[in-house]
Amino acid sequence: MERAFARSNDSLTAIYEFAEEILSKNAVGDAACYSVHLALEELFVNMVKYNPDVDSDIDVGVDIIEDKVTVTLTEYGVPEFDVTAPRNVDINAPLAERTPGGLGVYLIQNLADSLEYEYGDGRSRVIFTKESGV
Amino acid sequence: MFDIQYGDDGNIVCIGRLDASQCEKGQAFMDDIAKSSTLDFANLDYISSAGLGILLKTQKRLAESGAALRIINVNKHIHDVFHYSGFHAIFDIEAK
Repeated sequence: MERAFARSNDSLTAIYEFAEEILSKNAVGDAACYSVHLALEELFVNMVKYNPDVDSDIDVGVDIIEDKVTVTLTEYGVPEFDVTAPRNVDINAPLAERTPGGLGVYLIQNLADSLEYEYGDGRSRVIFTKESGV
Repeated sequence: MFDIQYGDDGNIVCIGRLDASQCEKGQAFMDDIAKSSTLDFANLDYISSAGLGILLKTQKRLAESGAALRIINVNKHIHDVFHYSGFHAIFDIEAK
């Protein structure tokens, strides 16, 4: 199931509600639900943050096929931004050297069972999957 | 929904979901903390990198005066996020 959301962090609550309706209907496990919510937020917020001059909505899809939850976010009229590229985050650095930047995508890369990126003609799509834990 | 307030025991009680849409509220509260404090996450259901950023920024500021945040009653999912972020090395964290 897919729905378009306005490109704003204010859309987050509506996105969670949209996802939760699908996740609860399919009895998806707590751990997978948390990962799906985190993926939705981090990927959506990233799109909002890095393309502030774009007005178009972002399409958000949540689908459950067999034992896998698939989250798809698609935006249009944007430059390429590959979220699967390795992030330079040192989680072992001492406090004085730590910065929060890049942590969101890094988390998603670690929590995902698979993370794919597609780009062409200004269309940018991220596909995140996680075992549903049903 | 996210709320943050002082509890009767002096701990800072966090409730709900600390996500990117609630950062301003969380950061405003944390900016007023000037001494070592305990955050009670017993009723915090969710945190994202936006919330982690607030914790990190506050911990770095407090460290300059020798103070620190301690985080207690952390649920399993948030605990996992802390683990993936390496927060165990820079915060005193106690699971629920």
